[in-house]
Amino acid sequence: MAEMLKLGLVLMLVALVAAVALGLVNSRTAPIIAEQKEMEKQEAMRQVAGNLSPGDSLRFDSLTVSGLPNPYYSVDSFLRVVKVSVPPDTSGVGYVFIAYGKGYSSTVQTMVAADMQGRIAGTTILYQQETPGLGANVTDPSKLIGSFTGRGSVGILLAKDGGEIDAITGSTITSRAVTNSVREGLEAMEEAGLFAPGALTGDEDLPQQPPCDDVGSSAGNDVTGTADTDSTAAEGGNE
Amino acid sequence: MSLMKDLTRGIYRENPIFKLALGMCPFLAVTTSVENAIGMGAAATFVLICSNFLVSLLRNLIPSKVRIPCYIVIIATFVTLVDMVMNAYVPDLHRSLGIFIPLIVVNCIILGRAEGFANRHPVMSSVADAVGMGVGFTLAMIVLASFRELLGNGTWLNISILGTAYRNQPLLIAILAPGAFILLGFILGFFSILEKRRGGGR
Repeated sequence: MAEMLKLGLVLMLVALVAAVALGLVNSRTAPIIAEQKEMEKQEAMRQVAGNLSPGDSLRFDSLTVSGLPNPYYSVDSFLRVVKVSVPPDTSGVGYVFIAYGKGYSSTVQTMVAADMQGRIAGTTILYQQETPGLGANVTDPSKLIGSFTGRGSVGILLAKDGGEIDAITGSTITSRAVTNSVREGLEAMEEAGLFAPGALTGDEDLPQQPPCDDVGSSAGNDVTGTADTDSTAAEGGNE
Repeated sequence: MSLMKDLTRGIYRENPIFKLALGMCPFLAVTTSVENAIGMGAAATFVLICSNFLVSLLRNLIPSKVRIPCYIVIIATFVTLVDMVMNAYVPDLHRSLGIFIPLIVVNCIILGRAEGFANRHPVMSSVADAVGMGVGFTLAMIVLASFRELLGNGTWLNISILGTAYRNQPLLIAILAPGAFILLGFILGFFSILEKRRGGGR
């Protein structure tokens, strides 16, 4: 009985010291981490929005677009769009939004800048935890996200799904998540009427592309298609 | 003198990967590129040194019946501390290593050395052992990662080696999970032959 108490006491002491140490460090680092995240976002926004216009001083206004069919648990059902304008002219040069796509092992966050006609002006990956060496290559601007530039929502579809965008080799799930989430974001903005009338948008004569409705489930049914090692097993490097 | 022995043991004689076959799961998972291998190796070595130091320091205070939970708490605490501190103060490094840091907890080299060495040896030799094991682990990861990155991507440490013609059609399996097992098999076979040549193994 006495020994039991002693063992329990030792364990409690060890856990207590660990908890206090972690708590102290966390209270110091948490605000710094949060601040860095925010700065990173601002920086990325400036970077992608810089492609919209050469102006140094850009103004960012928040808007909210409702009704985006969102399959991702971690995001609310609104698309948060930021309108970019060059003061003093407030009519706007374009929009910036964050697209969330459920990839292989994380929800990939892509920051997208679109011009007033609904064409992509720039993209950058804000957050991803995909397989190093495979899906993590999505951050490489020369691979997937670079090929979005200049396209409207109609053109943003993987070659495997009938579009023209080449997926990253060995990482179809990640590529598809990013591609579809970017397109869905643009489509939601088109529906909300944010883009200039008569612009290069998808809703004129083309019907909605079927694959865009099932991003959530498409991760699992990818085994067909070209056999370039893109199936689920191929990305099994993450534990 | 024996301190030197503790230091070098992990590098070849008892290399955690090639000889003890410890820590296979992060080893196979993150050796897709040399950069990742170095990052994971450095992070694991740091935690290994800290945990060996503390376990050795407390070896007479912790009753043997509850030693394993205590070690796990110590290791997990260090890993979390490293994660938070790096996230706050070296965000760039943290971003490239982000996925590996939580993986250190499941690295059985660290628990293995705490249980198998540090709880029976004085602080100095435990730290020496941790350094040796960490370096051995890192070197082993660099070896496998070099093969995988070179064959699977045509590069070494992101420097193009095999030219664009190869890089357009690389031996992709090397960078995928099965390739890790196949190449590991070759490397272990190589070490086994080496051992035999030296005089019949053990």
